[in-house]
Amino acid sequence: MIWMMVFLPLLGAAINGLVLRKAPKAVSHAIAVAVMLASFACAVTAFVQMMGAGGEARIIHGMPWISAGGFSAPFNLILDRLSGLMILIVTGIGSLIHIYAGGYMHEEERTSRFFSYLNLFVFMMLLLVLGDNMLVMFVGWEGVGLCSYLLIGYWFQDDANAAAGMKAFIVNRIGDIGFLLGIFLTFKHFGTVSFSELREMVGSGTLDAIKLGAVGWITLCMFIGACGKSAQLPLYVWLPDAMAGPTPVSALIHAATMVTAGIYMMARVNFLFYLAPSTMTVVAVVGGLTAFFAATIAMVQNDIKKVLAYSTVSQLGYMVMACGVGAFDAGVFHLLTHACFKALLFLGAGSVIVAMHHKQDMREMGGLSKYMPITHMVFLTGVLAIIGFPGLSGFFSKDEILWKVFTGGGPALWALGAVTAGLTSFYMVRLLCMTFYGPNRSDHHTRDHLHETSPMMWAPLVVLALLSAGIGYLGVPEVLGGQNVFHHFLEPVMMVPNQVAANWGSLTAHHSHSLEMGLMAASVGVMLVASAIAVKLYANGPAPVLGKWATNMRGTYDTLSNKYYVDEFYDAWIVQPLRDMSEFLWGIFDVKIIDGIVNGVGQVCALAAGLASFRMTGSVHRHSMVLVMGLVVLLVVLVV
Amino acid sequence: MEFFNSHVLSIMTFLPLLVGAGIFLVPSDQFARLAALAGSILTFFVSLHVWHYFDAASAKVQFVESYIWMPEFGIRAIFGVDGISLLLVMLTTALLPLVILSLWHSHVKNLRFFLGAIMALQTGMLGALVALDLVFFYVFWEAMLIPMYFIIGIWGGARRIYATTKFILYTVVGSLLMLAAAIVLYISYHRQTGIYSTSILDLYSASLDPRTQLWLFGCFALAFAIKVPMWPFHTWLPDAHVEAPTAGSVILAGVLLKMGTYGFLRFAIPLFPQAVPTFAPILVFLGLVGIIYGALTAWVQKDAKKLVAYSSVSHLGFVVIGSVALLADGSLSSEALTGALYQMINHGVSTGALFFLVGVIYERRHTRMLADFGGLASAMPWYSVILIVATLGSVGLPGTGGFVGEFLILLGTFQSSPGAALLAGTGVLLGAIYMLTLCRKILFGPLTHEENKKLKDLTPLEFAYLVPLAVLIIVMGVFPEFFIGKSKASIEHLAKNYRSYSLAIDSH
Repeated sequence: MIWMMVFLPLLGAAINGLVLRKAPKAVSHAIAVAVMLASFACAVTAFVQMMGAGGEARIIHGMPWISAGGFSAPFNLILDRLSGLMILIVTGIGSLIHIYAGGYMHEEERTSRFFSYLNLFVFMMLLLVLGDNMLVMFVGWEGVGLCSYLLIGYWFQDDANAAAGMKAFIVNRIGDIGFLLGIFLTFKHFGTVSFSELREMVGSGTLDAIKLGAVGWITLCMFIGACGKSAQLPLYVWLPDAMAGPTPVSALIHAATMVTAGIYMMARVNFLFYLAPSTMTVVAVVGGLTAFFAATIAMVQNDIKKVLAYSTVSQLGYMVMACGVGAFDAGVFHLLTHACFKALLFLGAGSVIVAMHHKQDMREMGGLSKYMPITHMVFLTGVLAIIGFPGLSGFFSKDEILWKVFTGGGPALWALGAVTAGLTSFYMVRLLCMTFYGPNRSDHHTRDHLHETSPMMWAPLVVLALLSAGIGYLGVPEVLGGQNVFHHFLEPVMMVPNQVAANWGSLTAHHSHSLEMGLMAASVGVMLVASAIAVKLYANGPAPVLGKWATNMRGTYDTLSNKYYVDEFYDAWIVQPLRDMSEFLWGIFDVKIIDGIVNGVGQVCALAAGLASFRMTGSVHRHSMVLVMGLVVLLVVLVV
Repeated sequence: MEFFNSHVLSIMTFLPLLVGAGIFLVPSDQFARLAALAGSILTFFVSLHVWHYFDAASAKVQFVESYIWMPEFGIRAIFGVDGISLLLVMLTTALLPLVILSLWHSHVKNLRFFLGAIMALQTGMLGALVALDLVFFYVFWEAMLIPMYFIIGIWGGARRIYATTKFILYTVVGSLLMLAAAIVLYISYHRQTGIYSTSILDLYSASLDPRTQLWLFGCFALAFAIKVPMWPFHTWLPDAHVEAPTAGSVILAGVLLKMGTYGFLRFAIPLFPQAVPTFAPILVFLGLVGIIYGALTAWVQKDAKKLVAYSSVSHLGFVVIGSVALLADGSLSSEALTGALYQMINHGVSTGALFFLVGVIYERRHTRMLADFGGLASAMPWYSVILIVATLGSVGLPGTGGFVGEFLILLGTFQSSPGAALLAGTGVLLGAIYMLTLCRKILFGPLTHEENKKLKDLTPLEFAYLVPLAVLIIVMGVFPEFFIGKSKASIEHLAKNYRSYSLAIDSH
């Protein structure tokens, strides 16, 4: 069942990519969707079976893969509650997005290449979440990176898209080196890279100081990997550019699944991270800063997808922050709700973009609620979900994180998260107003063609909207009278090793309910105020006062709208110097210096030979004989 | 059959030479192609026989043939394969039919001579791989130079004479040093034992004093370092590649360069083990410089072929550091050694494919400048698929053979020296940078050049020699055990026992 689920998408990719490359759109779409639905059915069956059997982790043995010396990495998969949840997200939301994509790519001449990549991505993502050792995970890890690269640059005729794809791949590779170093360290100190074996080792005994120190480095290295994939500071720069890809790609890969791989990976080895308090501090702080930093940029972007991209970076920051305070379950819960509402928001934005004839600038939109009522309703649901409006999914997951951050990370980190929640509300409501409300600001031609999208596109949105609204009820906290089902669901996966249990008392300690209620009220208050401000400023298109602010605070505004000049900084201080050095190494060192010496030696020899040939009239043969004899004598003298 | 079984290695080695000579007798070019192709495929089948009956569990040399040649000097012709040479033999015999296939429609002048040279070259390479006698190894080692000299010098580009001269001089300098060292080794062995022998099976047991070992290792190492080529002895390579015809480049990168890295494993390390601790750091250092330097210089190339040539310097740097990853207990890391051997094969396959691919567009456009391309993915979709697969193999994406090789090398190197592994790890990043740059400049972006708009996609013939390589890149990544399995015992033996190395003969 599991293998079928994994390989069906690969089969779809092979059919579309190799066999039926010239197939009509409807055929390639049908194939891709069919394998996804079948794969989803397998995933549901596997999940139900696993939970029916008590929800215990199961290892599915595959073929031996790499082994050399003392190292071995078989192709084993692990199905437990964590990976079970992930396969549901990947195949479930993946199926919806595949369906939607048929409508979105309607204007393309052919779509077999597109769906081939998309199926391939799902295959790789499934390997990533199911791998029972770091190496199989790494196959998926780089595999999804490859698909991301191919899909960002899908419209390769535009060089900017190709550049964005390449940037994504390369920035991710920086993280991947961290991941690799983590694998090497793990093998060196534990002799295995299997998750289940590691877990057993850590759970069954006490680690000595050397191993404990190594765990610090291992987790730090793996976190670097997570920073690449999950777009955290300072490696987030690829994600906003990745929006060059078709919008369903942004929804599937760059919002719902691939970018959450870093969070998944940390949750997978949570028992190692618990052992490394210093790494955890780094994780929490990086997550918090990323959440805040990206949210500030999102506030002034005008491209609808760019806002959502920075929003994704920011939301990923929340998840990472949750991991950093030990609340991996809260992080994964937000991963789940975010997968639903962010996929919804991206696909909704995609519908808007299609209706707007591929214009993405919100300044040219406005008033679309009249023309696209369904899209408007589902989008509104998505916005309310992400800003944490009470009752919708984002409310439960975000408040769970903020609460855990408060108890586990302290008030300062909580404040950062709460302020970010305010910024989130601001930029999302701003996006909503600029797109759907106020007067329509597009040109006549576009306006005349504005209309609701086809059912193929809005039907998946409705499903996602229902999920975004309702899925939060899996994790209703006790303070609101719930059971926090989700927390208990993941409990068996989380393991605080005994020797550090004391450090993580806050996770299980009892806290006052009134404090939790108070904090919750505070964050809801922040959300409401920030939303109100955004409504006030943007309800009728950008308010005039904004222009004045932008002039008065030119510096701040420019810094934000130019994304803190981080790309420019990287380019000027890393890429260019490296390029200059390479030019020097080749143009000067290689060609002038080394070859200069080589050619110089050659000329000297020729000169010497010319002199010598007055006295020696032998053949080349004899010359070299003399040379070898001379060398032998020389060596014998030197050696003996 | 009895005869075949007991002479299989010499049949495999000399069959190509025989066919190569026969080519001059056939009436037409078309016959010559057919003969060469048949000969190379036959050779491949013979090698498959060896592969099939090779006992993977044994670290002994197998299929051994020994002929007395000059008994008074102790010179014998000894042929044999172990798990280390076997993989390289297979690489050679598998690559050659594809090379000949690529010449099917070629109309170079003196085609028969060209094919003959290629066949002779194959004998040289196979001979060097199976020879277990210093004299014969040396003869084959030098014999490889002659056909290569003609291939570049006659059928090469505009600066071919400069390139061949450079290639030959570089190599000969190394070879002469190696010859001198070999003679000293021969004399020393005789002085010790009173026996004259050039068989390395005997010479492994020579106990030389450490100082002698240092000198002799140095001489052998220099010869091999030039061949690999290791930085800073690499500047012959870009010139040779740029001037060489496609077939020459494929063989050069695919097999010839590995003779250098093979030499370390077969000769330098086990013959002079006491020099290893001294030389290992130097070799690792040069390897690391090669990895980074090769990658950076590849990045700024404007000629696609030169880019691939410099990438070889980088990739072979990995092989070098993997060959000398010394562990704390003085043994070599078998993980790294496995990776090094595997990486030699991977590099042969993926770089061979890349040189073919550069050749494909060169044939159509008579230029290799990256600036002359762009947007080819629209005009040549299948070409793009194969180029991307070869690129992925080259950057070591998991699922390709390149990953298995690089991963094991880095894993083993990390156990030996984490700092070295970290530096080499940057090569993984830089590899992605220059290879994706290559892809982007050739395949992506708008189709700006008028000439490129009507380029034809791959012909069936081009498919025929490219698809096997593309498939191999992936198969080697997914089923590495199938390949590595054959060499485990030999690698383990070398890694653990190189300090008192011996190769037993499998006598069945």
